[in-house]
Amino acid sequence: MAPNAPAAGEFVFDDEFLRKLERLELLARKIFRGLLRGEHTTPRRGRGLEFSDFRHYRPGDDFRHIDWNIYSRLDQLFLKLHASEDDVTLHLIVDASASMGFGEPSKFDQARRLAAALAYIALHNLDRVGISAFAESLGPSLPPIKARNHMARLLAFLGELPCAGATGFGTALRAFAMRARNPGLVILVSDLLGAGDAYEGIEALRHGGHDVVVIQLLAESEIDPPLAGALRMVDGETGDELDVTVDRELRGLYQHRLDRHLQEIENFCRRRGVEYLRASTAIDFEDVLLKYLRRGAHLQ
Amino acid sequence: MIQFAYPLALLALLAVPVILALYLLQPRRRRVVLSTTSLWRAALRESERAVGLRRLLRNLSLLLLLASALALGLGAAGPERLASTSEGADTVLLIDVSASMKTRSGIGTTRFDQALVEAAGIVDGLPRGGRMLVMTSGRKPVLRTGFESNPDALRRALAQLRPGDEAGRPREALALALALLQNREHGRIYFLTDGAFDGDAHPDSPQIEYRIVGNRARNVAITRFDFRQELARDDHFQVLLTVRNFTDAPVAVPASVTLGDRVLFRRSLELAALGEQTLVVPFPGRAIGPAVARIDVDDDLAADNQAFAAVNPPDSLRVLLFTRGNFYLESALEALPGLELVKRDWSPGEDVARLALLHDVVVFDGVAAPKLPRGRFLLVNTVAPGLPFSDAGRVERPGILGPGQSALMRDVDLTAVRIGEARRVVVDRPVPGLQRLFRSRETDLALALLDDGLKLVYLGFDLARSNFPLQAAFPLFVSQSLEWLRPRGEDRLSAHIAAGSTHAIHVLAAGTPVVVHMPSGNSETLVAKDGPLQFDRTADAGIYRYTVGDAERYFAVTLTDARESDVNSRWRSRGQHVTAPPASDGVKAFVPLWPLLLALALALLTVEWCVWTGSRSGA
Repeated sequence: MAPNAPAAGEFVFDDEFLRKLERLELLARKIFRGLLRGEHTTPRRGRGLEFSDFRHYRPGDDFRHIDWNIYSRLDQLFLKLHASEDDVTLHLIVDASASMGFGEPSKFDQARRLAAALAYIALHNLDRVGISAFAESLGPSLPPIKARNHMARLLAFLGELPCAGATGFGTALRAFAMRARNPGLVILVSDLLGAGDAYEGIEALRHGGHDVVVIQLLAESEIDPPLAGALRMVDGETGDELDVTVDRELRGLYQHRLDRHLQEIENFCRRRGVEYLRASTAIDFEDVLLKYLRRGAHLQ
Repeated sequence: MIQFAYPLALLALLAVPVILALYLLQPRRRRVVLSTTSLWRAALRESERAVGLRRLLRNLSLLLLLASALALGLGAAGPERLASTSEGADTVLLIDVSASMKTRSGIGTTRFDQALVEAAGIVDGLPRGGRMLVMTSGRKPVLRTGFESNPDALRRALAQLRPGDEAGRPREALALALALLQNREHGRIYFLTDGAFDGDAHPDSPQIEYRIVGNRARNVAITRFDFRQELARDDHFQVLLTVRNFTDAPVAVPASVTLGDRVLFRRSLELAALGEQTLVVPFPGRAIGPAVARIDVDDDLAADNQAFAAVNPPDSLRVLLFTRGNFYLESALEALPGLELVKRDWSPGEDVARLALLHDVVVFDGVAAPKLPRGRFLLVNTVAPGLPFSDAGRVERPGILGPGQSALMRDVDLTAVRIGEARRVVVDRPVPGLQRLFRSRETDLALALLDDGLKLVYLGFDLARSNFPLQAAFPLFVSQSLEWLRPRGEDRLSAHIAAGSTHAIHVLAAGTPVVVHMPSGNSETLVAKDGPLQFDRTADAGIYRYTVGDAERYFAVTLTDARESDVNSRWRSRGQHVTAPPASDGVKAFVPLWPLLLALALALLTVEWCVWTGSRSGA
């Protein structure tokens, strides 16, 4: 068990948190739908009748949605976007491995708060919301439900999630992709540390027809570790030990490795059309959420 | 070359494993639990892939501690390095002047010439404030200068040096040189030699630097030459000659021996490689005068191609008689041939030791004899103190039991001898050299004693109160006693000494001038004081002639030393420094290294402290 990981059932969404959710819901109401329907190039987009937006043509887009009128005038390909009339399913996948228990507040708490907020906003926009957790494999899930009164169950589910075990992105996300009947928007909240099969998992989600958003949460102690001297490092997930003398040089090498790791994830996501957001646990969760939502609004 | 003044202090180096143990047993690492160690592992791998220096630097603190402990440990042992020094240092320049240094080495030069060139280079390198002493090593070590700081004085001393015909004794010279440098810091001895002495002939000391001169050489030498009288034949002599070949090839050597102007023999000797041949050649006639043996061979050392001996006419027997008057004894002594008798009254203030040196035999007859020194004495009716026997009264009319087994009593018939009164003597401490000549039932009547340089015959009764002087046995007893005390054949042997040793010239009267004529043509006049003259200017082989009054006598100085004639170096390094550096190499001395090591240790500890504080601040 990680040092900061709360025991199952201890996590409580207090009144203050709930008031924040209501405030966020007001702020997010306009932009959330745009986020869900405007940006993502899915086969389903544009099948509705209501015009929504134009955007530049991208390879792979359906030719039938090209606005030939604009093309004839401007000699540029623009895609005419239409608001989908289908229900959108929001799948929240929370990393509950032991590594999420680190940070102050812990990454796991932050992830649960984010998931709760996203679910709250989505439910108020009459979308389906389901939640799954995973560690070494896919863990407990709450199937997508479209009902505002679903929020209480959802909060209870999040509050009781355990935080333990190693990370098995590939296994867990493949299992999720195979199990999910309604392709939709998948928001994966994880630190993406540990096992190296995160890419495989994200690919599996994409192949399952989901639009994928990755929110990577990192603790401040992981970004700038306050470590020096002769240490015996213990891996919080595997228990492996590593004797190391941390000096300025080694710390520099660590940060170099971390930056490269984060950059690789970001590049992977960009290449695959996966929305990627990185945040520190030092930032309040609503700020993270608003940043994410505003990015979506900006793109709309 | 490095030596340690306090080798036991090297035990301080045990601090190194102690530091290592402390390092390995240092407080355990702080345990921290992280979300993942994969990034740290990757960083560590990358760090270890970096250049080895980084890995080294990671343990820099340990390495610096170990290095400083090493430096302190070595410094405590007082290491000293042999180095050229500009500091003032006392140096002994010891030059081998033994006969082998005359060996040819190159065209027109000898080993001694090469040694002088080396010596000049060392003197040229005398540092400011440094002092140097020049001494030579022959049969005896000789100091040629004191500790001089003036190079010109040293050069003058070197210019006066020349090799002799002496057999070298380097151990004595080196021992003296070491004694001279005792308690002198940086003291150094340069021994310029050809190494033609046995391997164990030199002491061990790192202060000695051997500079070996000369190349391999070939030599054939006369190693023994002597005359002797044939047994019981006064007019027949034998000459002994040994010639040795020190080369690896057989040689034929013509050899000859001359006595005065007479050629005794001339013949060719066939010598195997490293072989020798000894000749014993008899010849009739009287052998008196200087004798020379020669071999005719072209080898690298000429000094041992001839040898010398001298046979002098027999000396007269010098007898000093202290008596109140003894007709029988004086008559018996004066009747002996070749005897110079001096008769004196005894006075207690006489210096018996000096008199014993000046005379062959001293006789005390009926006077109170003093404690006797080394020498030859005849005591008649008196006992001296300090002898193994002492006076214990008188014995009236002792009956002689018969002569003992001593050679002194050969043919001495005591049958008719009657004694009115004799001294009673008691042997207080038996000594091996005490023999009974004849005795009565009550006491010993005559004894002979040979004890630690003291040779004595005791006759224990008054000659005037016995009929012994009237018997034929008496002069025979006196003659055989004097012959035993001072055998007459001694001076008929060849008078020769090894080059460099001292020859004693006996002169009866103090103040007598003695003129010694040396082989070089020089002569020296000496005046006798107390005892025999000691003549020591015998570095050159040859015949030395001296005159005392009208008498002319000879003694020979000769090399004839097989070890010295083996002219190739047998010296083996036993850890001592040996070099043949350029002549201008200058003076070297042992420079202490501990200040350097202490400074190094402090510097290392300072750097280690900086590294430690740097790592702390980095943390």
